[in-house]
Amino acid sequence: MCSPASLARLAVIVTILACTPALRPGVAIAQEGLQPLLQKYQAEIAKPSRTTVDRVLAALLRENRPGTSEFLRRWQDRGVYERPGDGFFFYAQEASGALHLIDIDSGVAVAEVTRREINQIRPNSGVRGVIAAALAPFELNAPEPARRQAALDAIARSGDADQIVPLADSIDHEPDAVLKRRKERLLVLLTAQFGTPQSARLTAISDLAGDISIEARSVLNQLTARQAGVAIALPEGANIARVLEVGEDISGTEAYDRLVGAGLAPPRQSATDRREVLAQHIVDGAVGGVPLHQLDTDAARTRAYEALEAAGTVPARAAENEVARTVAAHVFYETYVQPDPEVTAAAEDALATTTRTLGLYQTLDLVLDGLSLASIFFLAAIGLAITFGVMGVINMAHGEFIMMGAYTGYVVQIFIPDYTFSLIVALPLAFAVTFGAGVTMERLVIRHLYTRPLETLLATFGISIALQQLAKNVFGTQARPLTAPDWLSGALTLNDIVSISNIRVAIFVLSLIFLALLLFILKRTRLGLEMRAVTQNPGMAASMGINPNRINMLTFGLGSGIAGIAGVAIGLYAQVTSEMGANYIVQSFMTVVVGGVGNVWGTLAGASLIGFLQKGIEWFNPSNTLAAQTYMILFIIMFIQFRPKGIVALKGRAAGD
Amino acid sequence: MSEPEIAPRKRFLAENPSALRFIGCLALFTLGVTVLSEGFGLAFLSTSMVKILGMTLCLCLIAVAMDVVWGYCGILSLGHFAFFGLGGYAIGMWLMYARTEGIVVQSLAAAPIPPTPTEIENAIATQIFGVVGSNELPFVWGFAHSLPLQLLLVLLVPGLLALIFGWLAFRSRVTGVYLSILTQAMTLALSLYLFQNDTGLRGNNGLSGLQNIPGLLHLSQSTLAIWFFWASALALGLGYLLFAWLVSGKFGSVIRAIRDNEARVRFLGYDVERYKLVIFTLTAVVSAIAGALYYPQAGIINPAEIAPIASIYLAVWVAIGGRGRLYGAVIGAAAVSLSSSWFTGGGAPSINLGFYTILWTDWWLVLLGLGFVAVTLFFPRGIGGLFDYLVRKP
Repeated sequence: MCSPASLARLAVIVTILACTPALRPGVAIAQEGLQPLLQKYQAEIAKPSRTTVDRVLAALLRENRPGTSEFLRRWQDRGVYERPGDGFFFYAQEASGALHLIDIDSGVAVAEVTRREINQIRPNSGVRGVIAAALAPFELNAPEPARRQAALDAIARSGDADQIVPLADSIDHEPDAVLKRRKERLLVLLTAQFGTPQSARLTAISDLAGDISIEARSVLNQLTARQAGVAIALPEGANIARVLEVGEDISGTEAYDRLVGAGLAPPRQSATDRREVLAQHIVDGAVGGVPLHQLDTDAARTRAYEALEAAGTVPARAAENEVARTVAAHVFYETYVQPDPEVTAAAEDALATTTRTLGLYQTLDLVLDGLSLASIFFLAAIGLAITFGVMGVINMAHGEFIMMGAYTGYVVQIFIPDYTFSLIVALPLAFAVTFGAGVTMERLVIRHLYTRPLETLLATFGISIALQQLAKNVFGTQARPLTAPDWLSGALTLNDIVSISNIRVAIFVLSLIFLALLLFILKRTRLGLEMRAVTQNPGMAASMGINPNRINMLTFGLGSGIAGIAGVAIGLYAQVTSEMGANYIVQSFMTVVVGGVGNVWGTLAGASLIGFLQKGIEWFNPSNTLAAQTYMILFIIMFIQFRPKGIVALKGRAAGD
Repeated sequence: MSEPEIAPRKRFLAENPSALRFIGCLALFTLGVTVLSEGFGLAFLSTSMVKILGMTLCLCLIAVAMDVVWGYCGILSLGHFAFFGLGGYAIGMWLMYARTEGIVVQSLAAAPIPPTPTEIENAIATQIFGVVGSNELPFVWGFAHSLPLQLLLVLLVPGLLALIFGWLAFRSRVTGVYLSILTQAMTLALSLYLFQNDTGLRGNNGLSGLQNIPGLLHLSQSTLAIWFFWASALALGLGYLLFAWLVSGKFGSVIRAIRDNEARVRFLGYDVERYKLVIFTLTAVVSAIAGALYYPQAGIINPAEIAPIASIYLAVWVAIGGRGRLYGAVIGAAAVSLSSSWFTGGGAPSINLGFYTILWTDWWLVLLGLGFVAVTLFFPRGIGGLFDYLVRKP
């Protein structure tokens, strides 16, 4: 009887008996547990949708049985499972390929199943958002900061009046300073939208004045949202935003269209509709007595239609004077969606302040944009300021030197994978490469053409297309990446409006360094002195013991080398292609010419003018940078008419001529 | 009355045998192409080849104009290809409008009620501008329905642009490389303007289908090709004679003097700006005519054609052919543009070096670029300069 085998059998039976109640929790658990309530909404919970979830949530929150928030959180995170047989819900715990089902109310593991035997409930993202919003008040005091953060995000996404009290209560217990500020802010936003004593609401709204964050602006915009209305007389008690004058605020056509939209007037007949109607009433090759072949003018069609009207075969259409009378008989207005006039007035005030602040910041942002564009133009043109500005050599291959610099950076990155270090190597290497190229070009070609400047243009153009094609043959036609190191990839952000990427700041700094360096070389070194001497009067310089050949070579090399470094900088934010240089060449020449030839300050002035001008024009028409460039070039052409020598014109002997 | 008019013309041709020789060569060439063409002769030359030759003649014409403004007057304009493109756009508008009108009228003829003029115009506008998301005819197309008006625009638009631009630039004494940069800026502005979708010229789609001439749709392309070839040859011949006559007389002496020393000519009492303006505008108009003949043969025009680089190429053709002699410009334009299409069109055999095969589609531009450098450095008088040696030897 008591053999080991029978003992084992007994143990199995006991186990089964012990498990049985747990397998039927709905039967065993008391009525106030969560599961029965969930079972009441079984279908809606198992297959949640945006249309039903609100009702379920309302019911769950009304009863607020123990474990509700835990359930909502798991539901949202796809952590709730439905057993197919009886439709009960469980939580589950992963364990070596199987799932331990956990009872919702008792938190006890009740069974082990495979994934196949159980349905995971997967609410879609819309539903999850709604659940998160409902969950937010519970989560505001959660021990983990991440959960509190998530709750705040949910409130920010879809706030409602019910969240105000729990949010306000949670502020005092908030240990984290950042989260506390966020909570206080959200409270202001919520109060402005839904706050109940009007005074509290008005205070909150005035607190939002001048706040340029997107959240605050969207709250104010919602509060001041308007809808168009039309009626015989202004409606009583409505919160009227303004009354529209026909002909001034609203065109007659638009006004009539609104009447039609409101069902207060018959629709106007379009030319197409009339043609359709006429085509339906062709009798013996004529419509209303007008022969078909004559119907190729509007007047004839009107005649035919009037004939049909007179015969009563077609409905009368709205005549023009009738349209005008109907429009005149109605009043067109805009009402606030928000019914409380004090709230809307406060919101309008706050919005006006915000708009002013916004304008200020937008101007600041525009200035930063202009500054950054100007520094890019400056960087691209500064090498040219030396070769063209100081030496008077038109180097059409200057853009290709920029390209060579950028490709040097790309090649260096292939060999040195660390971006910061490769950048440190690439900058001097690009200078060396383009310095060499510039010196070679000066020695082989340009030297022979100093007396024929226009032919320098042609020869260097030939070099430019040859270099471009060579780059295409070597590197291919697709753009090559020149990746910026991490510390350059972020952006400096002041607020939602004003931000500037680190790369642009770096380019700005780089161009300042170049400016200083170049001024130093030209004004404070022997080389600079000799450069200026040779460009002003080569013969006299030579008789003073300066070797003009050597100086010309070095000057041209310096200008070309700077173009190479500019290439690395430009390649970091733009793409490296064989045509990148060609995109800058015309602009660069214009920068130098506008600024004034022969002067580094002039190039700075030219680049600033062009950069700010282009951004300024873009600001008027942000969608169209092509138009901005077009108008900018036209402006430059006009500008050169009035100041042919550029902004900073050299005077006296230095001016040459 | 007629005596004094005939006398200088006789003298002009007698004193300029090169012009006579050029016209002779052009006539022979035209005759040869006609005889060999597909449309009228032995069909040795395909229609596309005839078109390429016709287009080359147009390029020769603008090169002659460029030679006058640069080689004779010393103004290195990098904007003449913009005038060429404007001429093409002006004629292209009529070609496209009239052809679309034909198609639209045909399709609307099936409707039970005949269309009104407004309906036709709307349908045309939708056809042409659907591609840039518009269905209204922009105001610049106001004359597009009429060939004579549009032909007038071929002359007027580039002419006026050159007149205004030239007046502004010459008046403020912008010379030399500054003028080159300024004209280049003008060209860039124009091409950027045309690139926009909302400026009414179909943005970067450009105008297309220009090879179909409304009213002549019953003719085959081979016939049209030879007709356009003749027109191009005629235009080149007339343009050449006009410029040869212009630069041979006193006017020619003055503009050459302006090239060589502008200040001295001014001190001698000549109105330098006026001479320059006349040359600049006249050559611009001739360039536009060349463009108006070129693009119906090319079949398509888009803003990329006007990009500044095209005008630089034009200057290079003239430099290679030899500045300051009109036949030099013709030789340069024909040689470079024909060899470009031969090399890049895959006509040239690739060279196998064993370790590397030189594909001309990849290396032609390198060769061309280095060729410019070589010509500028070693043959400042260009290919045309070779004739000097031939003439001097005997």
